[in-house]
Amino acid sequence: MARLTAKRLGAIGILLSTAALADGHIDDMTAQELLPRAQEEGSVVVYSFTSRIGRVETAFEEAYPDIDLQGFDISSTEQIARLKAEAQAGVTNADVIYISDTPVVLTELLETGIIAPYVPPRVTDRVPEEYRSPLLAQRLSTKVLMYNEESNPDGAPIDNLWALTTDDWRGRVVMVDPLQRGDYLDLMTEIVLRSDEMSTAYEAQFGHAIDLDGATSAGERFIIDLFDNDLILVGSTDDVNVAVGAMGQDNPPVGFTSYSDRRDNADEGWALQVANDVIPAPGIIFPAVLALASEPQNPAAARLVIDFLMGDETQTGGPGLAPFYVAGDYVTRTDIPPHPDAVPLDDFTAWRIAPTETAKIRADIGDLVLTLQ
Amino acid sequence: MADTAVGGQGRRVLFGPGTVLKTVVLAILVALIVLPLLRTVLFTLQPDTIHAWSDVLSGRLSTNLFYKPLGNTLLIGVVVSTGCILLGGFLAWLVVMTNVPFRKTIGVMATLPFMIPSFAAALAWSALFRNDRVGGQVGWVQGMGIGIPDWLAWGIVPTLIVLTLHYFSLAFTIIAAALATVNSDLVEAAQIAGAKGRRILMGIVLPVTLPALVAAGSLCFAGAVSNFATPALLGLPVRMQTLSTRLFGMIEVGQVGRGYVIGILLVLISAAFLWVGNRLVSGRRSYATITGKGGRAKRFDLRGARWPLFALAMVVLVAATVVPVIVLVASSLAPSSANLFSGWTLHYWIGQSDPGFAQGIPGIAYNADIVRALTITLGLGAAVAFSGMFVGLLASYTTARYREGWMSAAIMQVGFLPLLVPGIAFGAAYIAYLGAPIGPLPALYGTFALLVIAATAYLLPFSVQTGRAVIQQVGGELEESARMTGAGFARRLSAITIPLAIRGLTAGGILIFVKIVRDLSLVVLLFTPTMPVLSVVAYRYASEGFAQFANAITVVILFISIAASLLASGLQSKSQPWLQN
Repeated sequence: MARLTAKRLGAIGILLSTAALADGHIDDMTAQELLPRAQEEGSVVVYSFTSRIGRVETAFEEAYPDIDLQGFDISSTEQIARLKAEAQAGVTNADVIYISDTPVVLTELLETGIIAPYVPPRVTDRVPEEYRSPLLAQRLSTKVLMYNEESNPDGAPIDNLWALTTDDWRGRVVMVDPLQRGDYLDLMTEIVLRSDEMSTAYEAQFGHAIDLDGATSAGERFIIDLFDNDLILVGSTDDVNVAVGAMGQDNPPVGFTSYSDRRDNADEGWALQVANDVIPAPGIIFPAVLALASEPQNPAAARLVIDFLMGDETQTGGPGLAPFYVAGDYVTRTDIPPHPDAVPLDDFTAWRIAPTETAKIRADIGDLVLTLQ
Repeated sequence: MADTAVGGQGRRVLFGPGTVLKTVVLAILVALIVLPLLRTVLFTLQPDTIHAWSDVLSGRLSTNLFYKPLGNTLLIGVVVSTGCILLGGFLAWLVVMTNVPFRKTIGVMATLPFMIPSFAAALAWSALFRNDRVGGQVGWVQGMGIGIPDWLAWGIVPTLIVLTLHYFSLAFTIIAAALATVNSDLVEAAQIAGAKGRRILMGIVLPVTLPALVAAGSLCFAGAVSNFATPALLGLPVRMQTLSTRLFGMIEVGQVGRGYVIGILLVLISAAFLWVGNRLVSGRRSYATITGKGGRAKRFDLRGARWPLFALAMVVLVAATVVPVIVLVASSLAPSSANLFSGWTLHYWIGQSDPGFAQGIPGIAYNADIVRALTITLGLGAAVAFSGMFVGLLASYTTARYREGWMSAAIMQVGFLPLLVPGIAFGAAYIAYLGAPIGPLPALYGTFALLVIAATAYLLPFSVQTGRAVIQQVGGELEESARMTGAGFARRLSAITIPLAIRGLTAGGILIFVKIVRDLSLVVLLFTPTMPVLSVVAYRYASEGFAQFANAITVVILFISIAASLLASGLQSKSQPWLQN
């Protein structure tokens, strides 16, 4: 305890001195200018929604041997709960927050002042405005319909989302419970927001106009029908990946999961492939954002980490971006060429979510899903 | 000095016997248990969360939000607690009272399942019985060409089986401890009078151990209804929800108000059941069975049934212990979960970081986070076992010696409360309670102290319950004689009650240590990166798809638990030589 208190006092001391030195300019500093201060701070804590933070940690400490990066792999939903609790307790554990679930992050973390935006000046002109504000998006991630390409060598077994509600796919669609993982609730929400497109796709599938039959929109109708069709809910995306992707299956299901999990095909013995040609869209594409704690204990090191995570000046962004430069993740920096093995972003048909729109009806969609379970 | 500290005669006259003690104990329990829960209730009564009550109880959501999960929860509670008493009682009877072969082996094995985290048992079940409903790889049995129907692979049936096989060892521990202290005078008197084994069982053993049976049933009921991991893993693919999975889901998606309401209702429902159980026990007034004299009775001779009963016990025990352990160990070595028994590697245990393997995560022996978590977990287990047994002993002593009055009843009821609160809700309540500064007291969020305090409170029912079952059996006459010779409260406690009750207290201490070392639900919210514990680290690896690391850590947890238990049972046999025969 005594050591901890001493450490905290030290941290506060450093915080005060750097704050005084910084005088508001710390946001404009280059990595070289940040480095001596960051070395003085000596360590930095990162909350990350992806396990790939482990590789970032190794790479960062290789690049900056004097700074100890402590990376913690915590799901977005849990980060939100944790950061709120920490704020209430007046404790700041994390310096850097790397998170998805932006609809909730914007309202519950950014607007409440728990986290703050930061864009490294080095990359400002190379990240489109929409990915710089209100928070810096490092890359775009996905929740899309995937199928088993070993069992379906000629391409996706379906071409329309509505096919998932037919008898052919009864008990053969897998996804994570939207009430347990926020990005799946975002997916359901987006389907409702895109009701017009869902309505058009319905006609393409069944040849006649949709009968809402009590539902308030085509998107809701789809969700109701999907659950009625013995949709299988599991606990994590990896469960979906195994169910859909495992090799040697005669009649594998399809499921919603992360496009980038395809990177594990070789290691895990999967045959995951995205059903990109499904109409109206295979799923959603959403930003993974980087932010600072509003009062980080290690302000310079925290900024250095974000700078590092945005990639260096080499062709594909160097060691900071390497864990994320994979097929199925779309780096937001415009000067980094798209990954050669993935569907190019422009051809990728998944819906881009609009976090503020999603936030408006997300709770209602959660309630709808609840009544269907 | 100790003789006059608490038991001053002047205060006795003023307050009546035990009032000071009762007040102190009640105050401790209220601060530990009632206040955090009260915070939770108050939270749901705020203007912007109060509608959660109508959502849960009467709105269009209520069927799925509450009533259906409630039905599953009650079914699980009743079936699992009944199954646990039958199974645990049967094994305890075999081990303590009969001449079944290898009874020590049975005794040790019967305590093991409780040390296996229930999520590990559920994972082992699906590794064996998983069918192709969820696609992907099938379980071992289906892999052998035997079709597994959905009802056996998923949902309520496997949940009931896994939970019964998990909690029966809790019932075993409690019932065996009680059976071991059945006064031989009673049994011998019956034998001399010509009573047969069956008659002795029904006429003497059962009535004397009734408190333990009810206690065991209550604990298993409460454990089963609040268990999260098993119904979550086995129920989700067929969309089976219990109140605890519902509560977890609600808190996970940020609908804290609804989550708390479900938690509060779960508390009330379980409380009603436990109240009934308590009434059954409190009708009897004396359970004193360890008195100043008496010894161990002869064992029942099972004759021809010795080996068949042994075989029956072993089938259950192997299914509950050996099988999950083999699956856990195998999957901590197998790189691909599809081929559990081939291509084994020690990388997950002792490998150095290799970028091309498991995303560069080193084996657990070289992982600083895991080593740190191990230290903290052991410290936490020891601290909580000590603080828990201290408070538990105080509470059980108080209620056993001063049974009359509303305060004793209140102590018992409050001591029971945490049982009814799912760990995750208790964790959430503690964050609300001690997460922010209270007056001059600093916020405890992220400190070791918060983990210790919350875990002590959360596990108090176990310490109180095991302490009580034993203390009630320590004859009051011993203490009376001590009091007449002038021994004060502290002296009587340390010279008579504790030495005689040490078996039960140690059993309670082990239960607490083991429970906290492998607990997930309580610490999953209290956990902070700066204060990691093993089970949460394991859970994180499991949820990220690194099942091998998770299982390796689980094997470590298992090893710690078993070592602790063996150590404790060694201590017990030394302290109670009269139990050896």
